[in-house]
Amino acid sequence: MYEFVSGPLALISFAVFFVGIIARIVWYVKGLDWRLDRVAYTEKLGDGIKGAVKSLFYWLLPLNRTTAKHPIFMAVTYLFHICLVAAPIFLLAHVVLIEESWNISWITIPDKLTDYMTLVVIAAGIFFLIRRLVDPNVRILTTASDYIVLAIAIAPFITGYIAYHQLELGAGYKTWLIIHILCGEIMLIAIPFTKLSHFVLSFCSRIQIGMDYGIKRGGAKGRGIAW
Amino acid sequence: MAQEAKNQDLPPLVTRKPVKTKEELDLLLADKGIRYYEDMKTFPVDKEALKKNLATTCKSRIRTWLEICAHCSLCADTCFFYLANDNDPKQIPSYKIQSTLGELVKRKGDVDTDFMINCMDTAWGKCTCCNRCGMYCPHGIDMGVMFGYLRGVCFSQGFVPHEMKIGSGMHWIYNAQMDVTVTDFVETCEWMAEENEDYYLGLTIPVDKPNADIMYTINAREVKHYPQDIAEAAILFHIAGENWTVPSKGWEETSLSMFAGDWAGCKNQVEWVYEAMNRLKPNRMVVTECGHAHRATIIEGPYWAGIKTGQTPSPSIHYVEWVLEALETGKLKLDPAKKIKEPVTLQDPCNYIRNGGLCDVTRKIMSYIAEDFREMSPNREHNFCCGGGGGLNGIGRYREQRNIGLKVKRDQILATGAKFVVSACHNCWDAIRDLEEVYEIGIKWSFLKPILLDMVIIPDHIKPKEEE
Amino acid sequence: MFKNILFATTSSALCNDASDVAFEIARKHNSNLYIFYVFGFPSRGFGPVTDFKTGEAKYCDQAHVDKVKEEIKKTYADKLTKLGDYVIETRAGVPHTEILRFARKKDIDLIIMGPHTRDEKEGLKYKSTLGSTMQDVAQKARCPVMIVTRPVPKEKLEFSNIVFGTDFSKASDAAFLFAYNVAKTSGSNLYLFHALDVSPRAGSAIRSQNEIEKNLGEVKEKIKDVYVNRMEDFDNYQIETLEGIPYMEIIKFARGKDADLIIMAHHSKETDQDQEKALLGSTLEQVVIRSSCPVVSINRHKKE
Repeated sequence: MYEFVSGPLALISFAVFFVGIIARIVWYVKGLDWRLDRVAYTEKLGDGIKGAVKSLFYWLLPLNRTTAKHPIFMAVTYLFHICLVAAPIFLLAHVVLIEESWNISWITIPDKLTDYMTLVVIAAGIFFLIRRLVDPNVRILTTASDYIVLAIAIAPFITGYIAYHQLELGAGYKTWLIIHILCGEIMLIAIPFTKLSHFVLSFCSRIQIGMDYGIKRGGAKGRGIAW
Repeated sequence: MAQEAKNQDLPPLVTRKPVKTKEELDLLLADKGIRYYEDMKTFPVDKEALKKNLATTCKSRIRTWLEICAHCSLCADTCFFYLANDNDPKQIPSYKIQSTLGELVKRKGDVDTDFMINCMDTAWGKCTCCNRCGMYCPHGIDMGVMFGYLRGVCFSQGFVPHEMKIGSGMHWIYNAQMDVTVTDFVETCEWMAEENEDYYLGLTIPVDKPNADIMYTINAREVKHYPQDIAEAAILFHIAGENWTVPSKGWEETSLSMFAGDWAGCKNQVEWVYEAMNRLKPNRMVVTECGHAHRATIIEGPYWAGIKTGQTPSPSIHYVEWVLEALETGKLKLDPAKKIKEPVTLQDPCNYIRNGGLCDVTRKIMSYIAEDFREMSPNREHNFCCGGGGGLNGIGRYREQRNIGLKVKRDQILATGAKFVVSACHNCWDAIRDLEEVYEIGIKWSFLKPILLDMVIIPDHIKPKEEE
Repeated sequence: MFKNILFATTSSALCNDASDVAFEIARKHNSNLYIFYVFGFPSRGFGPVTDFKTGEAKYCDQAHVDKVKEEIKKTYADKLTKLGDYVIETRAGVPHTEILRFARKKDIDLIIMGPHTRDEKEGLKYKSTLGSTMQDVAQKARCPVMIVTRPVPKEKLEFSNIVFGTDFSKASDAAFLFAYNVAKTSGSNLYLFHALDVSPRAGSAIRSQNEIEKNLGEVKEKIKDVYVNRMEDFDNYQIETLEGIPYMEIIKFARGKDADLIIMAHHSKETDQDQEKALLGSTLEQVVIRSSCPVVSINRHKKE
């Protein structure tokens, strides 16, 4: 079982993930239509790139008004995303596994740190969950898929934490490890097909709106876009 | 597919096509929206056409926005409707778009009449397409753009507010948002020149002058109800010594078609203006103090007309840009003693500030005309819609909702302590007038032109000579 | 002389005295009379119109137009029977704009209207409508505008005594020509009158009586020079000058001479440029409010 989930299934899920997100990007870019969107993407590419860079800069860094207005939520969000992406990529155990299989490797961060990062992801996930259940503004927007997507995103971290610390929670280490790998693979496969596609599409959207403002909505005039 | 029996013999009012004849238009006007909305309740949805429309026009940008929305509610307090309605979750932009366009796309157009009426009531009654929410969404999801799109979808299915249907029809029939003909326009220009030529020597309103430096275009309301606005523009151009003209055809820069979502009508309207540019070859076009007109004719228009660069045939600027240029170059000299002494605040129209980048221009103008200028908060690109944008001012069906929405602007103005609001936009100007009518907070408001005319130093060669 | 007359009515009691004058002049001169009514301003595009009189919002459709026309007909029923040509016209819009637009289009020779009192609220709202409809019409019309605020006995419409008040402006020139014309055709006494402004507002230094009298003498000479020389064989005129606050002096003088008509220029600059003064009202407006006889305001030569 372990061999299957860590071998062929891992390969399949990585393949689905990469092909999937590339397909989503291609689909996105191909779907942009200068006439329908009313943005001269190619004719005014220079202004567009400036706008896009600005849009990414102000939002990848917490330099926007939304962060100023909702500091707690945005702080949790930024931390959540940083940890969610960084912890699995730079976890020593993951890098070792990949080196063993494909003979490539990169730098790692100490286990102690990834451990905290995992807890941050889990805590943030709980924060999001509670917010979804309690805040009437969020509740009215929430659909079942929001919970599922949250679960898919958090599951690898909860299971990973259990497996790493070899907590005996109704099953042995081996079982938890398999569950953890499965959860990770579910997440990888889910990314291109669910709201988790914002993993890449959020960048697409930010670039697009940056180009939109940069090209036609006054971004080229005055002091440019004021995100 | 049958209409209700009682209306069977009457000509249809709700249609999926724009109104293009005077007979249909008169019928709609005479109806006052009574039978119109009655008929709409039973007007069938053409699901096939709707499905096809979504498949061909709803592309990756909007589909992605709808899909990746994190349902986080950060957009809630960016919307003045949400704030004005005591933080009603049903007014969250994301909720409004997800429950309408989101569902529509999800169901691939398989929706019923009630659903479409709800789409209409949301797209026009709960959103002014001010695009403010899009500035605050971490994903960059612009719900104003999506509501603009939804309006087009609703229009193509016949689910459009009565006045918007009429407005779109007006553009088809008169090439103007009201029943103002080319003759009316030219006559009004002649009249205004006559009325003022004794006070400003040499004043004319040149019609169809080729190769002028400026081609000036206006809002039909000025011809219909505020001809003095045309006169004021003419006087200021004259004082500034501009070589300017107005086109007899192509003078209307507004677009109720845009508010209505009648994209074919939008194209038709802007092409009328662009033809004038191509015919008269002005160095540039200046549009009057109107926000949506600038958006329609200068920002969105080239795309409707299929111009790949997204630029109008002649370079085009808003009136405030011309004013600042004239002040900075000294073409217009103001008497500093006549600066407004009382506290004064400034309305930032969404359509040329957030969606046109001109906030510094209007502020520099304020420094010339006001001694005690007070900013609203928030301001510039982050300012709230006046409350009447996107055509909402004109729609009777949503009057109550509009009036509730005005509270946000009311409180913004009150917080400045100023009792005088400068509003260089017809729509904002109207909303602020109505705001005063509804809430009576004791403010006055003005376009820039009358203020400038009060302060401008008239060169001697223009002053009338009194025989003493 | 008065081929086309426009009577701008609010169709209320406020315009009763003006209507009497309008109908009588139209009858006497066999003029085409346009009875003109403006509904008011649409509160929103294609929506109902807020009636200036009642404040009600009503759709200006054919039925409403017909109803209002019918009402106007009823209000003036007995007067209309004596009349030759008349047309009732209605418009929706800003009253002074529509009155002026129509007057220009129909080549109107005389506009007759009641006081159309100042609406303070509206004045605040839009600077260009600052002041009453009357003031705006009087200021901008190309033709003479007669304003009637009090009842006028029929015999006084013979215009036996006409007071022409001048300030020697270009506009006064146009007013003179009209006054001269009316006096000639009606065989009236024409008083060429000027009031020397000695109110504290007008000049800084207080003038001595000798100086004032010297000034008055000069003004008399000027009147002879500017106006009398242009009246061919017409000699039924008197030159009069007084010192004081101009509008007061005109009113007092007109009362003393039992004047039937006051003709003067509208001093547009006063209302246009200086907001404070405009709120107090121009000389013309003050004369209009206080005069017991009709006042004709002329601001410019008729466009030929």
